[in-house]
Order: sequence, then C-alpha cells, then structure tokens
Amino acid sequence: MPKDTAFLPILSALCLALAIGVSPAAQGDTGPVVRLFPTTVLEDIRETGQVAEDMENNLQEVIHRLDLQQQLYTESLCQGADGDQGCERIAKQLGATYLEMLDVMSERLPEMERAVNGTRSSLEKRLREELGQRTTPTTLQNTLLGESAGAASPEQRPALRGRSGVRLSDRFKQYYDLVATHREGPGQSLAVVAADIYLDMEEASHLIAATQQEIARASLMEQLNQSFGLITPEMAAVVGGVKEILFGESVREGPIAAPPYQIGEAEFESPLAM
Amino acid sequence: MRKVLLIAAAALGLAACATQETADYCSARLSGNLDSAMAEASERLAKGCEFQFDGYFQQLLAIAEANPDAKNRMRFSDFLMRANDMEVISRRQAQALYNRYFGVKFVSLQGDYNTCSQTCPQRDRVLSNMQAELHDKELGLLRASADQQSFYRADNLLKEAELVLEATCSACEAGARR
Repeated sequence: MPKDTAFLPILSALCLALAIGVSPAAQGDTGPVVRLFPTTVLEDIRETGQVAEDMENNLQEVIHRLDLQQQLYTESLCQGADGDQGCERIAKQLGATYLEMLDVMSERLPEMERAVNGTRSSLEKRLREELGQRTTPTTLQNTLLGESAGAASPEQRPALRGRSGVRLSDRFKQYYDLVATHREGPGQSLAVVAADIYLDMEEASHLIAATQQEIARASLMEQLNQSFGLITPEMAAVVGGVKEILFGESVREGPIAAPPYQIGEAEFESPLAM
Repeated sequence: MRKVLLIAAAALGLAACATQETADYCSARLSGNLDSAMAEASERLAKGCEFQFDGYFQQLLAIAEANPDAKNRMRFSDFLMRANDMEVISRRQAQALYNRYFGVKFVSLQGDYNTCSQTCPQRDRVLSNMQAELHDKELGLLRASADQQSFYRADNLLKEAELVLEATCSACEAGARR
C-alpha cells in the first residue's frame, strides 16, 4: 500500500522536529565551532513540530472513531454478510469516517509541506557551511566522537533513523532528555541529529507531494465505494499505516547505534594515537 | 692461477652460505608469547631483516589474537615505537598502523581540506575504506585486545560518519547546483 509507507518518513521526520523544537537551550550547546542549530533553524523546526502535533491531535479522534466502527463491524459478523442492511449502514459510516480522515490529512499536508521545506532549506545551509565547508574530515571525526567534555553517551541518546514504536508525544519526552544533556555541555550527537532531520525532511518533501496525489485518488475511490458500502482492504491498510506512524502501534527498525559503551577506568593512551 | 681460482670459489661459497643463513634467519616464524615474539622481531629488524617488517607485524597480530589481553595495545604501541626508533618505519607509518588496528578513530577519514571538497567527491571509496578498516579494528581491538567498548565506539563512529556524510554531501551538492 503506497500511502502508508509514503507517510512514514514525513511523520518520522516530524517526530525529531517536535523534539528538537522544544529546545531553545540546544542553540548554544553546539560548541563554538559547529553551530548547527541557530535560532532561525530552531524556529523552523519548532514550527514544523507544531504542524505535526496539530495533525496528530486532529487525526487521533477520527482514528479512534474508525477503530470503534471497525470493531462494531467485526463483532456484528458483517464480513461477507451481503445484503444485511445494518451491516451496510455500519460500512457506510466507516467509509464516511475514512473520508474524514483523508480530508484532515489533505487539509494539513500543504502546511506541513511548507514547514518541512523551510526546515530542510535552513538545515541544508547549516550543514553545508558548518560541516561541509568549515570542517575537515579529521575534525568531523573528532566532532562525532565528542572530544569535548560532557558529550552524551549513546544510551542517553534517542534512537534516530528508523524510530517508531511509540507515540509522537512520548518521543517528545525522549528527546527532551537529549536536550537536557546538551544544556550541560557540547554533545557530539548534534551533527548526527542534524543529519538525521535533514535526510528525513528531504525525503519527506518529495513524498508529501506524492501522498497528496494518493489521497486525492483514495478519496475519489471511497466516494465511489460509498455508493456500494464496501470496506476495502485498501482502507484498512491506510488506517493501519497512519496509526503506526502517529501512535507507534507496531515496532519498526532498531536504532542505528551499536550497543552502548563505557570508557574504561585506566584506558591506555598510546603516544601514537591520533 | 689455480690457487687464486680456488680461493675465489671458496669466498663465493661462503658468501652464498651467509646470504642463505640471513634469509633463513629473517623468514623463520616468530613463536612464543607476544612479548618474546616482539623482542625476537625487534632483534631481527635490527640485524638486517627490515624487509620482513610487514610479515612480522601480521605474525604478531596472529599471536595476539590467540592470546587476547588488554595490554596488547600497549605492547604493539611499544613495538611500533621501537621500529620507528630503529628507522625501519617512519613515525607516520607507525601512527597509521597503530590507529588502524588499535585506535577508535579511522585513518581512512583524515584530511586537511574541507569535507565538501575532499571527502564528498569520493564518499563511497572513503566509506568502503572505513569498512575495511573496521575489520582490522575488529582484529586489533576486539580479538587481540579484548576491548569491546572501544570496538563498539569505532563501529558507532562509522555508522554516524556514514549518516552525517550522506547529509553533508547532499547539502554540499545542493549548494554547488545553485
């Protein structure tokens, strides 16, 4: 089903955006050399996060209603009960709610597209200037390893690309921990966080347009189905996909990072070490 | 005249024997524990076996792999420093070898020019080299030094570098298109 996969990167990018968006403190915590999150970028991210949050709030109620109607349909043994007037009524109500969900999405997507593109552009500029032009491969490696004091350890970091499995609001709390770590000192993961958000936003901006087209097609199909009162597998798949993205009802890929490490107490330091 | 020829033949024979002895001496396998093998390798390097340095290094790694110990990193560091003192290898070579096998940072991701101009044009090759280097770190850090934590740091560094380079190079390309 193209639609539910199409939405994944968009909203997963926004998970990150939501989280980083709450952190005015993160702005000053990137250290004097690499400044990836100045106020302008943070504002863009915050706005994108707000749009995603609004979408979550709007869709939650509709999806809850869809769940209840689906449950009623199943418990009434309507599957395959052709000609039953009660079942036809439930199916039509389900279809109408589904259309409502598509309406909410198509209403919110243009705003999200604008916000995503804005964030992508501002992050792109920062990445190019700070990591691309002002950083050598050697210093980039040092930045990632976090030679500065107070760097976040991997277990304190949230899982990045491939995140999911929890509600957006819960991810928001996870990222708050990241922000708190950055407040105490420069952390190495900001470059990774910036790269992660940027790549997701880039993918999202391509997919939003495709998703909008897909919604238009699905709306038309459902309007036709309303005449016959059908619940299609396509409807179920779309609803399932949206629920997975927003409310994390299925677990996806693991984090990119390897198992956490701790620095040994008496680590040998060679005079040859870089 | 006949006497002279005999003497010359004898001298040639002796020289050939000496060369053969040296070759045998240099190419004999190192054995024993790591400390004694390193001492033996250092002695041979000092006695004209410099050309065998790479072979000795690989043999020492194999001995260390068979006897993992956290102190092996230090032993290799000392061995490489000695080789550098004997002028068998340069300081830069010693650093590159040590860091390739026992350092968390990647020798393959080094440079003095900016990332957009140096790394991005050859990103795939750099990442492929880093992947190969991670295998060497697996041998040096994980199997020879039993240092899981450092190996995980290197593994994590490679994954993060891959992600950050993808984003940074994409941003560099977008800037170049404008």
